[in-house]
Amino acid sequence: MKLEMKLAQRMLSLLAVPLAAAAVCLAPAAATAQASKEPIRIGSTLALTGPLSATAMTHKLVGEIYIEQLNARGGLLGRKVEWQLKDDQSKADLARTLYEQLVTSDKVDLLMGPYATGAILSAMGVAQRYGKVLVHHTFGIPSLAKYDMQFPAWSLGPTPGTTVPNTLFDALDASANPPKTIAIVTSKFPSIHFMSLGGREVAKKRGLKEVLFLEWEFGNRDFGPIAARIKDANPDMVWMGDIALEGNMLLDAMRKIDYTPPIHFHTYPAPGPMTKSPDGGNALSLTIFEEHPPFTDNKVAADFVKIFNERAAKAGLPDTHVEVQAAASYSAWQILEAGVTGAGNLDDKAIAAWLKKNKVDTIQGKLRFDGPSNYGDDLMKIKQVQDGNWVVVWPKEFAAPGASLKTK
Amino acid sequence: MSPPPGRPKEGLASHPAMLPAALAIALLAALPWLGLPAFYESFLYLVCHWTILAVSWNILSGYSGYFSFGHGAFFGVGMYASAYLAANLGWPFLLTLAPAAALAALLGLALGAVVFRVKAVRGELFALLTLAVTFVVATVVLNTPIDGGPGVYLHSVAVPEIGPTPSSSLYLMALAGAVATLAIAWRIFVARLGIGLFAIHDDEDVAEVMGVPTYRYKLVAFGTSCALAGLAGGIHALFVTYVTVAETFNITVPLTVVLMSVLGGVRHWAGPAVGALAITSLHYFFTAGIDPLVGRAAVGAILVAVILFMPQGILGFLLKRRRPQARPAASTAAVPAAPTRRAAPSGRSAPLLQVRNLSKSFKGVRALDSVSLDVYPGEILGLLGPNGSGKSTFINVVSGHFPASGGDIQFEGRDLVGLPAHRIARSGIARTYQIPRPFAHMSVLQNVSLVAMFGGAALDQRRALEQAWQWLDFTGLRDKAGALPDELNLHQRKFLELARALAARPRLVLLDEVLSGLTPGEINDAIELIRRIRDRGATIVFVEHVMRAVVALADRVVVLNHGRLIAEGPCESVMKDSEVVRAYLGAPAHA
Amino acid sequence: MTLPSLNLLLQSILSGIFIGALYGLIGLGLGLAWGLLRQINLAHFGLLFLGAYLSYHMATVWGIDPLLTLLVIPPLFFVFGVVMQWLLARFEVSPFNSLLITFGIAVVMESAIQAVWTADFRRLESHYSQMRFTVGSLYVPVPELLTLVLSAGIAILIWAAMRYTDLGKAMRAMAEDAPIAAAFGINQKGLSLVLAGICAALAGVAGICLALTFTLTPSQIFAWVGVVFAAVMLGGLGSAIGPLVAGMIIGVSEAITMAVASPSWAPIVSFSLLILVLLFRPGKIRA
Repeated sequence: MKLEMKLAQRMLSLLAVPLAAAAVCLAPAAATAQASKEPIRIGSTLALTGPLSATAMTHKLVGEIYIEQLNARGGLLGRKVEWQLKDDQSKADLARTLYEQLVTSDKVDLLMGPYATGAILSAMGVAQRYGKVLVHHTFGIPSLAKYDMQFPAWSLGPTPGTTVPNTLFDALDASANPPKTIAIVTSKFPSIHFMSLGGREVAKKRGLKEVLFLEWEFGNRDFGPIAARIKDANPDMVWMGDIALEGNMLLDAMRKIDYTPPIHFHTYPAPGPMTKSPDGGNALSLTIFEEHPPFTDNKVAADFVKIFNERAAKAGLPDTHVEVQAAASYSAWQILEAGVTGAGNLDDKAIAAWLKKNKVDTIQGKLRFDGPSNYGDDLMKIKQVQDGNWVVVWPKEFAAPGASLKTK
Repeated sequence: MSPPPGRPKEGLASHPAMLPAALAIALLAALPWLGLPAFYESFLYLVCHWTILAVSWNILSGYSGYFSFGHGAFFGVGMYASAYLAANLGWPFLLTLAPAAALAALLGLALGAVVFRVKAVRGELFALLTLAVTFVVATVVLNTPIDGGPGVYLHSVAVPEIGPTPSSSLYLMALAGAVATLAIAWRIFVARLGIGLFAIHDDEDVAEVMGVPTYRYKLVAFGTSCALAGLAGGIHALFVTYVTVAETFNITVPLTVVLMSVLGGVRHWAGPAVGALAITSLHYFFTAGIDPLVGRAAVGAILVAVILFMPQGILGFLLKRRRPQARPAASTAAVPAAPTRRAAPSGRSAPLLQVRNLSKSFKGVRALDSVSLDVYPGEILGLLGPNGSGKSTFINVVSGHFPASGGDIQFEGRDLVGLPAHRIARSGIARTYQIPRPFAHMSVLQNVSLVAMFGGAALDQRRALEQAWQWLDFTGLRDKAGALPDELNLHQRKFLELARALAARPRLVLLDEVLSGLTPGEINDAIELIRRIRDRGATIVFVEHVMRAVVALADRVVVLNHGRLIAEGPCESVMKDSEVVRAYLGAPAHA
Repeated sequence: MTLPSLNLLLQSILSGIFIGALYGLIGLGLGLAWGLLRQINLAHFGLLFLGAYLSYHMATVWGIDPLLTLLVIPPLFFVFGVVMQWLLARFEVSPFNSLLITFGIAVVMESAIQAVWTADFRRLESHYSQMRFTVGSLYVPVPELLTLVLSAGIAILIWAAMRYTDLGKAMRAMAEDAPIAAAFGINQKGLSLVLAGICAALAGVAGICLALTFTLTPSQIFAWVGVVFAAVMLGGLGSAIGPLVAGMIIGVSEAITMAVASPSWAPIVSFSLLILVLLFRPGKIRA
């Protein structure tokens, strides 16, 4: 990545703003890459600093791994690929500005999505304005994905608020002690909240008795009272609409009052801490990929897992496993590559058209994009922490060898 | 020292910076049509966005010193108002901006109306209050149908077609907002409102007593500040298109506007804009090319370095060179002559000031106990008594610095009890402070001209400045006009107090131990000065311990002890009164 | 609203007391510096997390008992505080400017922490996190109890020192009127250094308590600013016990709300209460 040169160019162009020296400042990288052997440039942002940086690290690693592998195979359309990555500092408004820079000033050939729903929506707006394809990794609210040429790598399906809880309750019904009462406690974080409300509806339809429903604001620090109320309600299972560390904090608070819920399900917990925490045992959650067969029967997946483990360890990440974020990220690159290769050129419309008509082989499975909002099937599976590791327990055909859903 | 608030000598149109400024604005507005890559518009949008926020914050917090930590609340109100009206109710976007600003202003005014009345809520308590409001607003928004959890998505809201592209339209909206905000901030800065706000910053109580309507001014500044923040929020809703509580109401906005303003310079109307440009550019500059962590650390380090070496902010530093000009032509007419009346002490016209049964208690301590006295026009009345007898309290109550606990004060037939201090000042009463309390960040000239503007004289800015020169001549402070008060010695500062009091053209002057701390030579000068003040037609009540001066000046004296009036009459006889002697010297050791 | 059992209510109140104690402990150093040194020190939060991360590192990587880090980190931070104050004192920094400078320092610290420990979540798992007492039917977890004891104990200690020792009185005099205090022989420079050192050490102690009870990630540094500022401003700048009391008011009022109503309404209760207190009894909390 010739970033130093780009930086110098950018300093120059910034100085020219807003005076009439506009003509002087245009970056010379404007020329379209013809059939020359110039590298294909893919641009994106990630939250390399700021509150979202914990998860964005994973996406950076995955992107670097993928680009290396891609170039080792000969690149895209016979040309090398360069990844132009910028730091959006966890700010959606900065993400928008940087995507506009990538498209209108740096004139990258292709875009890749950023991290987290807010930034993805910003990027989607830019992509829409300039008619660019946007493949994104972990977008949490399918109903908001209204742009025609956006493609989700995270196979939630178009209505996860209904399909995901059904998967969960199917899994529980098939277990030794299906729960009869349920406590639903959730964060009011946008991508979680609608899932929990959906879960509530589905639970009611399936005949579970709701003994408690609580919402907390994102950023809450004191989970003691909530834990106490759950304990008081004594449910068979707890649905926790949590993101990042909220689930850990709640489990922690529950343990401190000597209570462990018989069954506890988490929507989007931070995966590493849940496996490492003494309270995390038997935690249920959602996934599209885990590091065991049958997922790792796919050679590409197995290779990726190995490389990711190594690189993550080298980067000092406490948790080196590939799970939802890394898998979605890798899939996103696979989708982009497939689209470009399938269309045979870099024309965004052609790529989009190809993706809508075809299925793409990813480490999650075969993905299709012809559903509402370009979403295909809901490929979410239920995983559980067993012996300090996440293993898939449902559907049975994806479960880790010999694993099944454990209930207390 | 940063340039003073107040109108520059020439009008705006002929201000040297006006033409380049207009050109720059025109160029900026034409940017979308110059064919530059669109991201310049988005980057400049961010600069304009933060300019609106920082400059508007400064209107209250920088000018008046009421440090608000809740700018995010008003920003958020505007953001959600626009988002809700546009996305949920389908209003055309441009129509939502006025309600956004109005709602934010309304919240601010409602808050200010209550809070500014509570005297103790200043400084960090005001910051705390505004911070608390942010949390309250955020929670309300999160838990009601305004948001309720999922956030508000403005995808379907059409961007008004102002520029050739949506990005440029947003940029132009923000540019208009920024220009408007800067214009408003400048306008306030050069107007009486601005001068009054800066006075409040230095010493609110004194400002009020000198005639600045502090409550009203603070309210106007706060409301304006909030309205502009709401406007910025409204526009931003469309820029980010997805509005969530967590992103809108966090610590970023309130903290960043402070940083930008301090970096740029809080005592200047354009300072925060400089800070906004600097910090936005800094953040943006480090988004690619270097390790992002190194970049982030570099931003922090740069902020530290800049402020350490430019404590007044960037703009303050750049403007420091130019000291405020303060030279009119040689003073033309002398101090406006007034009919020289030598009021005969015995000529009993109606009393100018009538005090009946005036009482003042401080939490059980009776500082004034049913004091009744009259002050006649043209006389010099000495107010004597041992320490703690209530003399200063008397002056404080009459001038409105403290409210009375009971009793009646009539001045020229008007009832003063219950009036806010600035109205009392307007009525024609002025006072000096025993320990001088000049406005520390204003020059001597500005200190005096301010009172000429706000006090009983109520002159416009230009005439007030002329008058101020006259009073500086009168008190011999002419060549100290551009100096700051802490460059003066005690004698000069006392005379500054006098000049300030006189600039209000009062009919009643209350002097509180003007002579204490002065050398014998200086005391003679002061006595002369006070005589000349009376000769010009003012009535004087003065508290004094220097007996020589009392004897030389006073037509009559009254004596207070423990808050009660114990003697009244000509100097000679009062001083011999046994109770007065006892009050000062105590009872004799043996009868 | 649901009527909670008494046990639930008490347990919730206890939870509120614990979090309030942490707010108070974090706010103690911040408030002292603000009131006595006229510095609004955002770097305090950076130090807080640095202390937390160091404690995490020592416990997790070097196997040292977290409580032992109390002997190591505060003295280290004391030195750091002295050095920082010495540097700051060379420039006469106004309170607003100190906000900006310490913000810059905090950002540098955040970047450094992220460079060393990455942005990923780090959790100090110690045997303490499993320990708890029971008082009747109430549970008292040990890490939180430790925080409460340290917070209240140190606050009282400092309050007593301010009141009764010469050093404390000298500091209060210096804060009230430095030139006069200097005329009485009080060494302002030396005292400021000592005070800054103490505030930094306090940040270290708070950091250790934070590490014992919360999971760490660098960007959380700024998430605490709002509520701790609130506790400090309500409790009174320069007060030793004020932030603790204010912190508990915030913590307990939120906890009660969470026990009886929807937890997402909690901030409205605590901060409305705060607003009411400010409007009607502004001087109330001051120690």
